Amino acid sequence: MTQPWLRMPSRWSRTLGAEQIAATAAIAVLLLGVALHATSLPVWTLVAVLGCAVWRFLAVLNVVPLPGTSRTIRVAFLFATTLALLAVLASFRTLNGLAAGTALLSMMGALKLLETRTPRDERVVVGVALFLLLAACLADQSLTRTPFYLLHAWVSCAALALIAQRSSSVTPRVALRLAGRALLAAVPVAIVFFLFFPRVAGQFWALPTGGTATTGLSDEMTPGSIDRLIEHYEPAFRVRFESAVPPPAARYWRGPVLTSFDGYTWRRSRFAQYRDAPIERLGTPVRQRITLEPHHRQWWFALDTVAATPRQDVFLTGDHQLVSLEPVDETVSYTVESHLQTRATEPLSTLGRRLLTALPGSRNPRSRRFAAELRATVTDERAFVSAMLEYFRTQGFQYSLEPPRTSADSVDDFLFDSKLGFCGHFASAFATVMRAGGVPARVVTGYLGGEWNPIGSYLIVRQSDAHAWTEVWLDGAGWTRVDPTGVVEPERLNRGLIDLLPNALSAQTRFLHRSPWLARMLMSWDNVNHWWRESMVEFDFRQQLTLLQKMGLGATGWRGLAMLLAAGFIIWLLWIAYSLRHLMIRSRPDRLAQIWQSFCAHAAPLAGPRLAHETALAFAARVRSARPDLANSALDIAQHYSRLRYGQSAIEPTTSQRALQELDRAVREFAVELTRQPA
Amino acid sequence: MTALNAALASLDQIILGKSHPVRLALACLLARGHLLIEDVPGVGKTTLAHALAQVLGLDWRRVQFTSDLLPADILGVSVFDRASQEFNFRKGPIFTQLLLADEVNRASPKTQSALLEAMEERQVSADGTTHHLPAPFFVVATQNPDEQIGTFRLPESQLDRFLMRISLGYPDHAHERELLAQGDRRDLLPGLAASLTPTAIIAQQASVRNIHLSAALLDYVQAMLRETRERADLRLGLSPRAGQGLIRAAQAWALLSGRDAVLPDDVQAVFAAVAGHRLERRDGMSLAAGSSLADDIVQAVPVPV
Repeated sequence: MTQPWLRMPSRWSRTLGAEQIAATAAIAVLLLGVALHATSLPVWTLVAVLGCAVWRFLAVLNVVPLPGTSRTIRVAFLFATTLALLAVLASFRTLNGLAAGTALLSMMGALKLLETRTPRDERVVVGVALFLLLAACLADQSLTRTPFYLLHAWVSCAALALIAQRSSSVTPRVALRLAGRALLAAVPVAIVFFLFFPRVAGQFWALPTGGTATTGLSDEMTPGSIDRLIEHYEPAFRVRFESAVPPPAARYWRGPVLTSFDGYTWRRSRFAQYRDAPIERLGTPVRQRITLEPHHRQWWFALDTVAATPRQDVFLTGDHQLVSLEPVDETVSYTVESHLQTRATEPLSTLGRRLLTALPGSRNPRSRRFAAELRATVTDERAFVSAMLEYFRTQGFQYSLEPPRTSADSVDDFLFDSKLGFCGHFASAFATVMRAGGVPARVVTGYLGGEWNPIGSYLIVRQSDAHAWTEVWLDGAGWTRVDPTGVVEPERLNRGLIDLLPNALSAQTRFLHRSPWLARMLMSWDNVNHWWRESMVEFDFRQQLTLLQKMGLGATGWRGLAMLLAAGFIIWLLWIAYSLRHLMIRSRPDRLAQIWQSFCAHAAPLAGPRLAHETALAFAARVRSARPDLANSALDIAQHYSRLRYGQSAIEPTTSQRALQELDRAVREFAVELTRQPA
Repeated sequence: MTALNAALASLDQIILGKSHPVRLALACLLARGHLLIEDVPGVGKTTLAHALAQVLGLDWRRVQFTSDLLPADILGVSVFDRASQEFNFRKGPIFTQLLLADEVNRASPKTQSALLEAMEERQVSADGTTHHLPAPFFVVATQNPDEQIGTFRLPESQLDRFLMRISLGYPDHAHERELLAQGDRRDLLPGLAASLTPTAIIAQQASVRNIHLSAALLDYVQAMLRETRERADLRLGLSPRAGQGLIRAAQAWALLSGRDAVLPDDVQAVFAAVAGHRLERRDGMSLAAGSSLADDIVQAVPVPV
């Protein structure tokens, strides 16, 4: 009993006829197509599709009949279609978008199953299933799902073969082999298309994917917001360094910069109200290629201070964050250069200084008083920063994932009562005290550190690496990063959270990390996935151009690429035609064949076209039964033609030349006669 | 030509409503092939053989095959003649112009093979002497496809010795009524005049070979042979020998249709009878489904334009 699942179809093929197998194949392919969306479709859709499929299959087995074609039933179909439309509308609140469209397509395919009678109907169903496959490819391009997509394509092609052949000689197994061979033969074309099909820049292919839960940093920070992210172990982005890898403690990935504070929540100000001072970039830049997972916000992340924007629809703001026009709804890859050291060349503008030292008047009174007292004890701003950090170090502050809830005066509660907090608490409190002491300060959220994948030599930055720190303006230096968390828990800078607060992560993640073997497996899997994303899914126009340049075709642009592709496609078609030439019995029809074909064309409206295997005499007999009044001329022509093609007279060219003219005249007369109405 | 048509007309009077198989049987004879009739008992196999012999003016014999039949029972045996002190070959029933081998699959393989060898060689060798069989020599063998117990199925190599395999099948409604009303058809046989003579048949067999084969027709036959070899569901395609048989049979059919050249129509008409028993499906369903398979192949090959 090896591979019983492969053997089953051939056993069916003995009990089921070719027609039944073709219908079953259409059902199976539609079910597979819907199964690709099983996780995202509403349950009622799945139930309805399954019901229709079962009905159709029972009809194949002649257990129940198919719905007929009477007017009542057609009205019922119309009603069912409307109902499906309304149900989709009710489930998704729209008919637009990928998810709703998929549900609608599944329902229509299922209803179509109930009226599949002809091969054409079955082909329509397979077409719907292939469209479902396309939708699945748009919705999810991860590596784990790719085998299922391939399987579906394979089975669909086999179903098309079964539907087209409808012969007992083409069993499901034969059809699968045929489809497999055809798909394998298509691989070179697929590769060429993948490499050279012009990728339209921008989000041309992207469809609105609809409500997806957002994981990632938002544009505001409350005392508990970062803590919630820590539970998420999934990657935020991956980084491949194209220059020297910075040390762990320098891996600050800047995200949203939060400047406005209401005493509880830090927010990103939506408008650039002040001009940030121009900076001078110091040291060698770090070049990174970042593959950002979709997080449905507009931030793009990069190491420390970015030098320039990687793309035209992404802006580099005054406070050096990357903000795109569109939210990141699908994976993007980009290369940026960052500087770890910068220096301001001009002082902060007055407006900027005012905005970045602003605090809500009524909130956190104790902190403000404390800041004023602390500021009085030191001479300059740098000493003030050190004193505050010293305060954190010496006053028993603890780094914890489970800080007590705070009131609206969150900084007061943290600084003087609980002294227990996460990075957000420290950053918020530090920035507040700095501002209260007259030092411009802002909170920066982002990620710190990341896990090095030694197999693929890249860094995985996870949601659990989310972090918040502060930047203060020091005259002469400009914006300077100060991470108060690092003072309390210096290890956080060098090690991931998993080592510091193992309880922060789920039991599953901890388990995976305990075994080095499993961890290595995870890294390998992540590496394969990353490769898939980077070089397959994210293969874009830029990479296409790089490839062309490597091939010495650098000067071709978008248009050149299209022309190249078209030329390649034409050559491919010509090659197919060349390899199929033996199917053409006579490559160029001779004079006799032309005359005969013109007769067939004239007679086709009477008796239908001549079938490929139909002989001249058989066709003439068919014409005769259609128009008995024209009988003799048709039969004469067929006999005359047969004699010329197969008889001995075909050998002598002179006689056959005259005979050809006779035949030609007979065909013309026949055509004239045809125009007369039958008596 | 008229003699052949007269023969066909006489045969159609005896075997009612079976003009296509009867025509095939005559074509098989004209193509110097042997005929295998596969059918259930009682549909007129023997009557057909008898009528053929009568109408064609041939002498005929019938051998009922059984499992204990020995080769000598068919071919003949050498007997010691005491008076002349030497062995005399006593010819068996195979020394006739038309041999009806009834239920050929009941005999042992040894006997079958002796018969089939004689059929192929048209001679019998015994004690170092070669005895030529009369001319024309034509074997009509029958077998019952449904009975399997105690039979020896003819292997493919043996089936190949038969140019055609046909089956008569039940008569249609009107003809069956006529049969029932008129009684035994064999009673009509003695009154049947011979339309042909053995010498005339030999002449007709020679003229079959002169029926013209055009290049287009050979293209068509080759396309058919290729189709049988390239199909996924066939274990074995048609051999070149089968292709030769197909062409000879088509030539005979063209002669019967009064043509001097073979048309694709002729090839299509004889294809099922010539190819049906030579094709074996991959999953082993050879015999019963053979004819519809042949139709499949005919429909898959386009006729040259």
